Amino acid sequence: MTDKYVLKKDHLLPLLRKLKKNHRLIAPLQNRHGDTLFTEIDNLDNVRIDLENQPQNSLKQFFFPQQEVLFTYNNPARNSYHFEPVAEESGPALYFGVRSCDLSAILYMDVVFLKDVKDPNYLQKRQNSILVGLNCNTPFANCFCNATRNGPFLDFGFDLQLTDLGDRFLVEFDRSRGQEIISEWRQFFSRADDKDVKAQYQAFLEARGKFSLQVHLDLAARKLADDKVPESVWHELSMRCQDCGGCAYICPTCTCFTIRDQQTSDNEGERIRSWDACTFSGFTRMAGDHNPVDRQLRGIEQRFRHKLQFDVKKDNRPSCVGCGRCVNICFGGTDIVRFINMTCSENI
Amino acid sequence: MAGLATTFGSGAMTNSINEIENAQVILVSGSNTSEAHPQVARRIFTAMDRGARLIVIDPRRTLMARRADIHLDLRPGTDIPLLNAMMRIILDENLADDLFIEMRTENFYDLRDMLFRIDLDEMARITGVDLARIRSAAQLYGRAQKAVICYCLGITQHVCGTGNVQSIANLAMMTGNVEKEDTGVDPLRGQNNVQGACDMGALPNVFPSYQQVDNDDYREKFERAWNVALPAQPGLTLMQMTHGGKDGPLRAMFIMGENPMLSDPVIDKVKETLDNLEFLVVSDIFLTETAQRAHLVLPAASFAEKTGTFTNSERRVQMVRRVIPPLEQSRTDADIIMDLSGRLGYAMDYENPAEIMEEISLLAPIYGGMHHDRLENSWGLQWPCWDRSHAGTPFLHKYYFTRGKGRFIPTVHEPPAELPDDDYPFMLITGRIYHQYHTGTMSRKSALLSREAGEALLQLHPDDGRRLGVRGGDQVRMRSRRGEVLVKAQLTDTVKAGEVYTTFHFSEMPVNLLTTSAKDHFSQCPEYKICAVHLEKV
Amino acid sequence: MIMQSPHKDLYWPKPAEIREVIEENSQIKTFVLAFVDRQYNASFTYQPGQFMMVSVPHCGEAPISVSSTPMNAGAIHLSVRRAGGLTAALHDMKKGDVVGLRGPYGRPFPMASLTDRDLLFVAGGIGLAPLRSVINTCLATGHDRRITILYGSRTPSDIAFKKDLTTWGQTAKVSCLLTVDRSEPGWDGEVGLVTSLFEHCSLDPDETKALVCGPPMMIRAVLAELAHRGFADENIITTMERHMKCGVGICRHCHMDDKLVCKDGPVFTLEELKRLNVFELRG
Repeated sequence: MTDKYVLKKDHLLPLLRKLKKNHRLIAPLQNRHGDTLFTEIDNLDNVRIDLENQPQNSLKQFFFPQQEVLFTYNNPARNSYHFEPVAEESGPALYFGVRSCDLSAILYMDVVFLKDVKDPNYLQKRQNSILVGLNCNTPFANCFCNATRNGPFLDFGFDLQLTDLGDRFLVEFDRSRGQEIISEWRQFFSRADDKDVKAQYQAFLEARGKFSLQVHLDLAARKLADDKVPESVWHELSMRCQDCGGCAYICPTCTCFTIRDQQTSDNEGERIRSWDACTFSGFTRMAGDHNPVDRQLRGIEQRFRHKLQFDVKKDNRPSCVGCGRCVNICFGGTDIVRFINMTCSENI
Repeated sequence: MAGLATTFGSGAMTNSINEIENAQVILVSGSNTSEAHPQVARRIFTAMDRGARLIVIDPRRTLMARRADIHLDLRPGTDIPLLNAMMRIILDENLADDLFIEMRTENFYDLRDMLFRIDLDEMARITGVDLARIRSAAQLYGRAQKAVICYCLGITQHVCGTGNVQSIANLAMMTGNVEKEDTGVDPLRGQNNVQGACDMGALPNVFPSYQQVDNDDYREKFERAWNVALPAQPGLTLMQMTHGGKDGPLRAMFIMGENPMLSDPVIDKVKETLDNLEFLVVSDIFLTETAQRAHLVLPAASFAEKTGTFTNSERRVQMVRRVIPPLEQSRTDADIIMDLSGRLGYAMDYENPAEIMEEISLLAPIYGGMHHDRLENSWGLQWPCWDRSHAGTPFLHKYYFTRGKGRFIPTVHEPPAELPDDDYPFMLITGRIYHQYHTGTMSRKSALLSREAGEALLQLHPDDGRRLGVRGGDQVRMRSRRGEVLVKAQLTDTVKAGEVYTTFHFSEMPVNLLTTSAKDHFSQCPEYKICAVHLEKV
Repeated sequence: MIMQSPHKDLYWPKPAEIREVIEENSQIKTFVLAFVDRQYNASFTYQPGQFMMVSVPHCGEAPISVSSTPMNAGAIHLSVRRAGGLTAALHDMKKGDVVGLRGPYGRPFPMASLTDRDLLFVAGGIGLAPLRSVINTCLATGHDRRITILYGSRTPSDIAFKKDLTTWGQTAKVSCLLTVDRSEPGWDGEVGLVTSLFEHCSLDPDETKALVCGPPMMIRAVLAELAHRGFADENIITTMERHMKCGVGICRHCHMDDKLVCKDGPVFTLEELKRLNVFELRG
């Protein structure tokens, strides 16, 4: 008997209502303009939870906000310079309807922010989070989580994971918080039987066959590792790149940031960290205008090497999660799939 | 706009932006599209991915030029000879669309006669582009089934700007590349709502919807609607207002969201004019260089604090919605105008912008079917949209031009007002860059944008740098007959030797101190693109 | 005293007072700093080659190498060249003013591998700053092999760290040679690139560790000279410079191939650098 459970779809909202009493609830909501975005739920009865469409954003901003005050400072006199903490953030949060790509992205961010150093802001939010995954029965048009090997279904990393079986969800837990939820609210869950488990496996097989894109990521990663990517690929893509930074901002695993002082009065200010993109020329430009990166020829290089070469070398897996959002958003045609295709098609 | 009005009858983009993706040949003239209109550049790149060919007319080697199949790097201000040469070649090689010319146009013979009289070698000499390349471009454009022309301020900001546009229209009509889907002539507007402003009659000679002021019927319509007597003659142009000098025609000015102290040519003249007004009121969201000289500053609301519509290059009217209430003491433009009008004795009591839009739909035929409830939750509507049931117009001049038949207007070369000479041997071209917008009022407040491009740079060719002893990063004194500035040099082969390029985004480098007051006779658009300067290392 | 988890102040600077400002030349000043928190100051230590992130009100932070030796506890020296907004603001500060300091960060010089070796230090301009930390540490810890210091400056007036240079020149087994790019009246020393000083030294490449620090062009020339003289890549050590923000290896502004200069550097051997795609070495 496996540790899998079943939650009837009818009981989803009542369960969320219970969980909302002690947690902030974040789920994919469709707004009145038809856009689906991970949003914090105010009133459960007033929102449209959308588990059909891909949310345009990922969970990144909830753990690593686009702008975040690290501390405030004041300097009332030349010999007086003090730093003050910012009030601690909100309480426990439950993230619901998180597809495999976005959940894997959180696991990647855990490595970035918690492995070698412990980023206090990220840690506080992460310790207070519960991740409830949603397996993808039907990948979206630009998805390739199969190529990045973190989907469409996950085996671990989640607190709870749901698989849509039509009138019910199959529910699994991996981490202790997931198990706690199941036992605390056991009236909502019944044990899964063979039929349920088989249905999940069936859904998995079908999902795997539904990808529209064929992305040869492993081949591209190998070419990068072997230094077999011709200069022309970097030049062409760097030239096409319109320098909007959209890919880095929308990407669930882009975590580069910049830090600046924002003056708020003569003697006071805030030190703010905000999202940044390695494709911007100012990312590497030093005082005196010296820049080790020639933006025109190689502006896009660090982005793809980081995700498909350096992180592979360091952690044995690429840091792209195959969500396809950059493919959706890039209007220069320099997304990661385009890079992989160009790299793989070069005959070396 | 004036140019297209005389040839097609309507001054706006003829087709929609997304149709550009389907063109087979795209001719981009005087537009640094990837930096100024990235969403249009996106369509151009997509078209190229599908096999489309790109011709770029630009004195500079911009990114568009580098990606182009053919780059015609002409001498600034020689667009008319270049376009005439292309048209002549098209005629010579029998690439004209005779049927289209016959059925849909008039005055072709005048153009043809003029073209047959020109000397192609002479045109090549004037433009500085070798004839073989002009010929390739003409053949490429002429042979295309579906071709689009995109142009921007590099075409219009000349003394012959109107003539330039007319030449472009001539070229498109001659080859039947207008009035069909996926073809057309696309003027790319310099600001996000300048199309909307023009549509609403923020021009001296027309009421909303381009209904002329001196047309009795139109004027009577508006006088009835607004219950006042209206002037029967066109008003002053921008330059007449800001360049009047100390004895200018105005005693007072109300400037809304415009910064002529930085964006108008011959800044000294602007300063003299404004400082001699009895009363200057400026409404803006930040204290701009112009606002600093005002007697009264009215804090206005930004895009996020007001509801209304913007109309873009492709005539698309889209909602912009308030998401936060106006901050502190700021008020929306509508509030400011209504309050002011009331105090001046003419009460206006629109409850909200939707009600204002209702009046617009009543009085401006091309906006006849534009209502907020239709624009909500949609991607907007393209004018003309005659009534509530009309779905908008993706491309203009379908089946007939707005003026009936398209009119060919032969144009001849008119050299720029001020060319380089021994005293001022360099040609200065002014324009924009990607990361900053206009006079930087908003964009310079962004830490990220200012990191990417935080100071004015003068693009200078390395050969010129060597000759002047100027290295990248050095300060240069640049001076014209009207003024001088200090600016940091950036050595690059984007510009040709003898030509330099910089922007007007940075208030500490007010390049418009140097530009001329010369302008196009019809459109009154100043010749920002050309003046003569002297350079020396500081 | 507030008990905080150790990572809470990952990004927090600590106030440090300027005890003294030494004007090295028209562009470089050395700031002698001590943390305002006496207890923290007393226990603070670092290793040669590391850097501090320096905060100046409203200017943000910048990385500055420590130029003092950790053997002299109680104060640290940061030698700063005026280059941009923050360093200009710093140059306007005086004794008694307070800055913020965070660190020490970075991979230090491999001090253990320098004992029992002849040492060659080649520096240009501000590049002497981190090497000064190494030299003074070696001397304070009884290094008794030969030390050769080759230092190039733009002009005689630009020669920085004059006090140390004099002291070193008077130390047994230390040979200190100076050169300038451009002479000035009263200078009767060498004129020319720092590489021209090599002919005045007798170096045994197998017994010597070379530490090189300065502008990219100088480094390239010196590396060529060292190769010419038979120095092995693993015996040549240098420091790399990149734009930095977090200083702790997360923000990635300092990326250099697959390395992060704030974490994997700033100290690198030439052997390590040659395995990477490094702009400064591409010429």
